[in-house]
Amino acid sequence: MESTIIRSKNFNAYFGENHVVKNVNIEIPKNHVIAVMGPSGCGKTTYLRCINRMHELIPGATCNGEMVLNDEDVYSMHPIFVRLKIGMVFQRPNPFPNLSIYDNVIAGYKLNGIKLPKGERDKVVEQSLSRAALWKEVKDSLHKKGTFLSGGQQQRLCIARAIAMEPEVLLLDEPTSALDPISTSSVEDLLHELKTNYTLIIVTHNMQQAARVSDRTAFFYMGELVEYDDTKKMFTNPRDNRTQNYITGRFS
Amino acid sequence: MTQLETELGFLKNEVINMWNLVRSQLIKARTSLMSYDKDLAREVILKERRVNGYELKIDRDCENIFALLTPVAIDLRFVLAVLKINSNLERIGDIAEGIAKYIISAEQPFKPELLDATKLTEMYEESINILEDTLTAFENEDTILARGVFKKDEFLDEINIAANNLIEEYLKQNPKDIDQALYVLSIIRKLERVGDQSKNISEEIIFYLEAKVLKHKHSH
Amino acid sequence: MSNLVKYRIAKSSALKIFTIFLAFVCVVPLIFILLYIIRAGITKINWHFLVNIPKPVGESGGGIANALLGSMIIIGVAALIAIPVGILGGIYLNENKKSRLAYWSRLCVDILQGVPSIVIGIVAYFWLVKPLGGFSALSGSVALAIMMLPIIIRSTEETLKLLPDSLKEAAFALGMPFHRVILKVIVPCGISGILSGVILSVARIAGETAPLLFTAFGNPYISTNITKPMQSLPLLIYNYATSPYNDWLDLAWGASLILLLWVLLLNIITKLTTRRWKVQL
Repeated sequence: MESTIIRSKNFNAYFGENHVVKNVNIEIPKNHVIAVMGPSGCGKTTYLRCINRMHELIPGATCNGEMVLNDEDVYSMHPIFVRLKIGMVFQRPNPFPNLSIYDNVIAGYKLNGIKLPKGERDKVVEQSLSRAALWKEVKDSLHKKGTFLSGGQQQRLCIARAIAMEPEVLLLDEPTSALDPISTSSVEDLLHELKTNYTLIIVTHNMQQAARVSDRTAFFYMGELVEYDDTKKMFTNPRDNRTQNYITGRFS
Repeated sequence: MTQLETELGFLKNEVINMWNLVRSQLIKARTSLMSYDKDLAREVILKERRVNGYELKIDRDCENIFALLTPVAIDLRFVLAVLKINSNLERIGDIAEGIAKYIISAEQPFKPELLDATKLTEMYEESINILEDTLTAFENEDTILARGVFKKDEFLDEINIAANNLIEEYLKQNPKDIDQALYVLSIIRKLERVGDQSKNISEEIIFYLEAKVLKHKHSH
Repeated sequence: MSNLVKYRIAKSSALKIFTIFLAFVCVVPLIFILLYIIRAGITKINWHFLVNIPKPVGESGGGIANALLGSMIIIGVAALIAIPVGILGGIYLNENKKSRLAYWSRLCVDILQGVPSIVIGIVAYFWLVKPLGGFSALSGSVALAIMMLPIIIRSTEETLKLLPDSLKEAAFALGMPFHRVILKVIVPCGISGILSGVILSVARIAGETAPLLFTAFGNPYISTNITKPMQSLPLLIYNYATSPYNDWLDLAWGASLILLLWVLLLNIITKLTTRRWKVQL
């Protein structure tokens, strides 16, 4: 019934000699929210950045294994094409400071030199901002700089910017760790709305957040994928002892 | 609407559905009692499984809400209250089933004179009332109505205490009906438990809405 | 209060007064120079002064038009050479922080910054003037461009270093190719720093005399041919200030004031651009 959109098989990632993601096997179903959690340095962010090939931008970073998007190997596609299909939102809100809110949303087109007719552009901007639950707040100040917004609004602007490109998958790297609780919950609520159109993979070190927002959760520890299961199952009756210790805060 | 609110809304609906099922169980048990309808009694016994199913489902939902959504303050009290109301309702379901079992075991129809003389009819009416009051109080978040339940429970207690004497008197006049009279006494005892469970439910409703603990306090 | 504490307080205020005094000492020479040049030069400057070339010895009047135009051309050409090279070099250094080439080129840039201007003049003389067979404005421009380079490269690099990596990542994550990330995101965001580096470097070379002595050489007439010798403000000041004629001395004073105003103006523009173009991160 549910089709797999991303599949990794025996996937490994390295920083130079350092083996940070070890033999990860995972299947991510379409239109779900997947949370990836684990203690700092467990390889969760690295794994996420491997999915859209952002990992390889770091000097000395390498990876191997199978990473498949819709039956096509991500690592045999052109990285630019991969990143158009798999959008990303980062830890700190990072709207382009030199662009207006409007231009930030269509930055993916504008800065890539893709010309859209004005009507089309307006539509993309409105639709993306509405999906990011930001339209109502900014529709009267579209031509102000994006950096005038509050942290939570900026993060939602970044989400709008990513979904304006109509990606299939949206990666979120600790998207709320720099936000206050109110902004955090507005972003979390948004994730629920977004999964009707996109597949979301969210890295978080906050396990309550993983519990709240996701359908499935993957637990990484020391570069290994320890457990990957329904979030309900994971938080009520985890299979692995390490998972249990982590979510109950008994980690030593 | 946050996800927690949505989930709590679902949970509330689920509890109300269970409540209605339990109420209809109790009413059907009464109908089968009055009309000596063993088929209806069997239906009540069969449907008890559904009550149990609700109980398990609500337990699991509460567990998931605790594990995934970490409710706090009024939300936390709500889930805690639901957890306890859930088991109270399940017991009322058991009571309805118990009454239905008596009807199946009874060898002849219950005499209306017996039911009236022991005030069972009146008591049954009142215990269904009391259950409906708690449901309305829960649905409308009405603590005044919930507090009214305590008074009605006292009325049930009085009938229960008086029941021994009433049965004794009835048996003096109709010694042959001893079998039936014992069933009636058991049913009265069970209905008294319905009152107690409803009282507990009311306490939980007040706890969740007002954060006041009324349990084990003698004056309300 | 114990004596020890009183002693400490006294020591502290003594140091404070001393630093204020030193700060004042730094400013005093500048104020004197400014006042002196303004007093000597202000009376010489008028429209006639700006649009005429120097008169021969013995004739009074005359202006510095040739030097003004020459300076502009020489600096303009120097900027044309140095700005693209400098900015691209700065971008390279910022993008490849750890590479071996970046390490060495950074070192070279630092050394270049310390090379005396006269040495650069001589080098330009041997590289360009001699092979080309004569003094030319172009060789002067090259010498000045070499002096501008380290300033532009370092200021570009420092500006870009301050931009958060997340900005670049955001651009890459939108599927932008490297050259677009640099041109459309990194450079626009750092534009104020880069511009102020460029303007400062222009201000810095505007007054350079030594490299021009062997290259642009000087020319008493207006010339716009960059392959021929050309006059420039510092050269004019140098030549005329050392002459024995009063008219020429006056000319040198006037030219000094013009040069001073020019540099001052560039510095003010720098401050304004930094404020105007500053991208709020």
